[in-house]
Amino acid sequence: MPVAASAIYFLNLRGDVLINRLYRDDVGGNMVDAFRMHIMQTKELGTCPVRQIGGCSFFYMRISNVYIVIVVSSNANVACAFKFVVEAVTLFKSYFGGAFDEDAIRNNFVLIYELLDEIMDFGYPQNLSPEILKLYITQEGVRSPFSSKPADKPVPNATLQVTGAVGWRREGLAYKKNEVFLDIVESVNLLMSSKGSVLRCDVTGKILMKCFLSGMPDLKLGLNDKIGLEKESQLKSRPTKSGKTIELDDVTFHQCVNLTRFNSEKTVSFVPPDGEFELMKYRITEGVNLPFRVLPTIKELGRTRMEVNVKVKSVFGAKMFALGVVVKIPVPKQTAKTNFQVTSGRAKYNAAIDCLVWKIRKFPGQTEPTLSAEIELISTIAEKKSSTRPPIQMEFQVPMFTASGLRVRFLKVWEKSGYNTVEWVRYITKAGSYEIRC
Amino acid sequence: MAPPAQSQRSPSPSQPSGKGEVSDLKMQLRQLAGSRAPGTDDSKRELFKKAISYMTIGIDVSSLFSEMVMCSATSDIVLKKMCYLYVGNYAKYNPDLALLTINFLQKDCKDEDPMIRGLALRSLCSLRVANLVEYLVGPLGLGLKDGNSYVRTVATMGVLKLYHISAATCIDADFPATLKHLMLNDPDAQVVANCLSALQEIWSLEASTSEEASREREALLSKPIIYCLLNRIKEFSEWAQCIVLELVAKYVPSDGNEIFDMMNLLEDRLQHANGAVVLATIKLFLQLTLSMTDVHQQVYERIKAPLLTLVSSGSSEQSYAVLSHLHLLVMRAPILFSSDYKHFYCQYNEPFYVKKLKLEMLTAVANESNTYEIVTELCEYAANVDIPIARESIRAVGKIALQQYDVNAIVDRLLQFLEMEKDYVTAETLVLVKDLLRKYPQWSHDCIAVVGNISSKNVQEPKAKAALIWMLGEYAQDMQDAPYILESLIDNWDDEHSAEVRLHLLTAVMKCFLRRPPETQKALGAALAAGLADFHQDVHDRALFYYRLLQHNVSVAERVVNPPKQAVSVFADTQSSEIKDRIFDEFNSLSVVYQTPSYMFIDKEHRGPFAFSEELENLSIGVESANVASAQRVEANDKDLLLSTSEKEETRGPSSNGSAYSAPSYDSSSASLIASQAPSELIPSNQSLQAHAPQASLAIDDLLGLGLPVAPNPAPSPPPLTLNAKAVLEPNAFQQKWRQLPISVSQEYSINPQGVAALTTPQALLQHMQGHFIHCIASGGQAPNFKFFFFAQKAEESSTFLVECIINSSSCKVQIKIKADDQSTSQAFSDLFQSALSKFGMP
Repeated sequence: MPVAASAIYFLNLRGDVLINRLYRDDVGGNMVDAFRMHIMQTKELGTCPVRQIGGCSFFYMRISNVYIVIVVSSNANVACAFKFVVEAVTLFKSYFGGAFDEDAIRNNFVLIYELLDEIMDFGYPQNLSPEILKLYITQEGVRSPFSSKPADKPVPNATLQVTGAVGWRREGLAYKKNEVFLDIVESVNLLMSSKGSVLRCDVTGKILMKCFLSGMPDLKLGLNDKIGLEKESQLKSRPTKSGKTIELDDVTFHQCVNLTRFNSEKTVSFVPPDGEFELMKYRITEGVNLPFRVLPTIKELGRTRMEVNVKVKSVFGAKMFALGVVVKIPVPKQTAKTNFQVTSGRAKYNAAIDCLVWKIRKFPGQTEPTLSAEIELISTIAEKKSSTRPPIQMEFQVPMFTASGLRVRFLKVWEKSGYNTVEWVRYITKAGSYEIRC
Repeated sequence: MAPPAQSQRSPSPSQPSGKGEVSDLKMQLRQLAGSRAPGTDDSKRELFKKAISYMTIGIDVSSLFSEMVMCSATSDIVLKKMCYLYVGNYAKYNPDLALLTINFLQKDCKDEDPMIRGLALRSLCSLRVANLVEYLVGPLGLGLKDGNSYVRTVATMGVLKLYHISAATCIDADFPATLKHLMLNDPDAQVVANCLSALQEIWSLEASTSEEASREREALLSKPIIYCLLNRIKEFSEWAQCIVLELVAKYVPSDGNEIFDMMNLLEDRLQHANGAVVLATIKLFLQLTLSMTDVHQQVYERIKAPLLTLVSSGSSEQSYAVLSHLHLLVMRAPILFSSDYKHFYCQYNEPFYVKKLKLEMLTAVANESNTYEIVTELCEYAANVDIPIARESIRAVGKIALQQYDVNAIVDRLLQFLEMEKDYVTAETLVLVKDLLRKYPQWSHDCIAVVGNISSKNVQEPKAKAALIWMLGEYAQDMQDAPYILESLIDNWDDEHSAEVRLHLLTAVMKCFLRRPPETQKALGAALAAGLADFHQDVHDRALFYYRLLQHNVSVAERVVNPPKQAVSVFADTQSSEIKDRIFDEFNSLSVVYQTPSYMFIDKEHRGPFAFSEELENLSIGVESANVASAQRVEANDKDLLLSTSEKEETRGPSSNGSAYSAPSYDSSSASLIASQAPSELIPSNQSLQAHAPQASLAIDDLLGLGLPVAPNPAPSPPPLTLNAKAVLEPNAFQQKWRQLPISVSQEYSINPQGVAALTTPQALLQHMQGHFIHCIASGGQAPNFKFFFFAQKAEESSTFLVECIINSSSCKVQIKIKADDQSTSQAFSDLFQSALSKFGMP
């Protein structure tokens, strides 16, 4: 943050302090009390992530069952503060090996203090890259009681790497088998009106990579996106091959990607960090292939009865299948009894969220299972017909399918020793917020 | 590696004092201190961990200081870190003991492992003990020249820390100059970035006193430095890039070419994965092109896609930050996003704050081409289960209507809202219909037809009720039932708690009367009578004003109350364009989120050390003796009423500056000037009214059918209870009375959340209540429960009221118990107390 953070607190949901790190003296020591009293204990919790109390600003985020609070006393950069928290949490997770929650924090609090010292100095963010930090914060997160022996392996030139030129990769890596894993993960957001017209639809995708490569490899990735293909055909002076090209609305890259080269040649080339990272993110609004169509019909039969029919149609290839499909169909609060049949999967009425929850574990392409339900309502005197019905929501994962149609055309690895690599490419499409009004 | 014992044993937020545990720990540490047995380090680790976990949850472990320091002579780096953390936390309060640590920290600063050097240097600078700074200068100087970049990054920040402990030492050692040299020459980007941060802070703070420093601050924006930083931009970490870009945004390039060069160089930053870098780049681009209108527009086009991506990726908190910025941009260039409005449709699961900003965006981007779709979407939200969002969306529809796009269709929609028959929807819609009618009187026929069908019983919210009443008055001739609806509302005058509604009721019934005299006569009489007897000053005054106006001349009254109105063309915008520009200058900061320029929330006058009084445990009477004493002193001053006001100001001046506690008493005494006049003014006016009323009847009373003198006469209202501004009560007398008197009123009610928010310390409330002549004799408690004892005296006689007041700030509930010498007035006092309390925290 161009303007520095004065303190960071981790609190559990009850308001107990799990971690407190004061970086500067310009805020009082009792800022936690102020936060507890004026934010946590009021209804305003969750109404706004930025609050000002007594001249100090509080940025807070809830991550699983923990609140992370940053306190600043000046006109700080909000976006930077939140991004910092997100990055810090990613870092902690990579140390704990997975979950970031109250228990993990309590079990690793010394480690967290160590990390907080390194990633921020006097309120200014320093190095947050897990790759580098792991070189010299050697105390391992307590994953199992048996692995408690500290990793005392000395790393002679660790500090050289800490702030080196290629900040995200250290030299001298060696693997027996050189492998690259590339996942294209897309999440589809849909908002469909009750009349079946698409109000809003977009795809946010990311390309995740896992690299186990020796030395300092140079990678080059080709996609079937429009700009890249056009540029390529221009360079090689041959017409664009027919076939689908994808227009990316916006792309952002990991810091390892050579952006100058992307701007001039439209190819994604980079020296990857070791291990897992997110190579790029993109957004697409045009030409999205929706994997599912949902056709609901809801009839109200008198004051106390309703009939609900929902047909879900999978519109991807017949050889593919979706996993973990969940359809949540909202029903009125005063539901008394439900009867339903499904042609596939299982359904049940969940009173806590006022929904019929219909789960289909494996959902093949080009099929259309239906759910038909009869709902009996408690008759109420006060309420007229409720015009407020939340949308039907869907969750799913479709492997080997991209809603945008994006494909990897090539992934080239070049290293001066000239070793062979194995490349693995996967695609998966998930539901973002997939909502159909009814 | 066991989890901290504390957390397992006692997870409750009310922490134990931990005394037993701390002394145990002390014993164990002492045993280990000298031991060199193998495995000592492991047991030390456990103990250190315990100490730090106690420290974290707030148990004071400073008593372990010397043992911790003794145990820290070790080669185990994790142990060292824990020890440094502990020392950094407590050194400030144990400066003498901190001296013990200096030795081994200095030794570590010369260790051969750069990690240890850096660590020791950082800890050394974090001690924050002013009289130890002499030990800092040497190691810092060496650190800045260290061959290892890690040590240098730590040292640069160390200089800044030193500056905050002792600015003079830092300047004398000439560290800023060294930093500047490093900033321009160091091979490591993080060192450069830290130098920049440190220098910016140091020179900004120095600039107010030293001209050289302000020159240096300007020099940071000079071409060589800016270019030096820009050329290395890709080496910097993402966070450092934010800092550099922020600096460059203040740079003024010499010509257009330079601007284009810079933008070409930095364009790829818009594709950075870190949203903060993208926002910083956007700010830079916008600032660079401010004077080039065409390019500025192109910049808007260019930044659109990255901004929309930022909104839809990342956590909702991040979206919130970005949306705030988008909103600012949209206000400047509404056209820009008008075709992307669909990005601002709300998703069902988004948190309230994101939805609210999206609604504001939708309102801002609405124009001829997209209004239909936007309003259709907003209508969906109005039927939403989430009530706050439903309300916001109705307001958004109204705002769009006021922007004059497609008013026709929108009015229809609004009227449909009224047919939904949901209280909150009706309430919001009524307020909007009122505003619409003020702008477009031509729609009155359609609207009134629908509004007339609404039963006033279904409208409870003050704002909505006021709007409905306004329409009843304004369109009295178009609404058949207007006089009768008003009449029934007036019948329930006493149940109407909102003064705003009562004020509107008076005006509306006047308007109605002027148009339909025979039907409204009775209602007007009743309204004026009720108004004159009203407890609220404004209502009372307005009623009196109307009454006299009618007495004077009905046609004048018509001209005053019901003049021909012009439609409102533009509703006043609350923010001046100057303020908006200022916010724009502070793009990418909190100002944008708060929608206020930073000077309004950062300035030192507006804030003070944010401290809660922690010693409030004891509730013994007489805690506030200082307060009582100063009140007495002021009273002594006031006794001499012959003194002129100005003289009094002088005599009081010093006493009010004397102590923090005398401030409230000063307030009360100056208020007492008004108070002591107030009754004397009020009473004659009441009397004259009483005297006036019977004879004034003549013509107007015939008209009103108010033959009886009772009606407009305020006689039924009891004489208002006035309190003595300078009440005095000895703590002993209070205790005695409290024991003797029975409880005459015991109540429980809620207070508004603003009040609770303002209740950061008990003192705030004391000052406020003193402004209402209710004095505090003792207060205490800790959040969320506060307890107060107040007292007050009647103005004329020495009848005393005693109050015990318990405020729970988390539930916004107040419990009061009132005891009084004169039981008959205790209810009146209770009302007074409640109204005074309810004003607490109001601006």
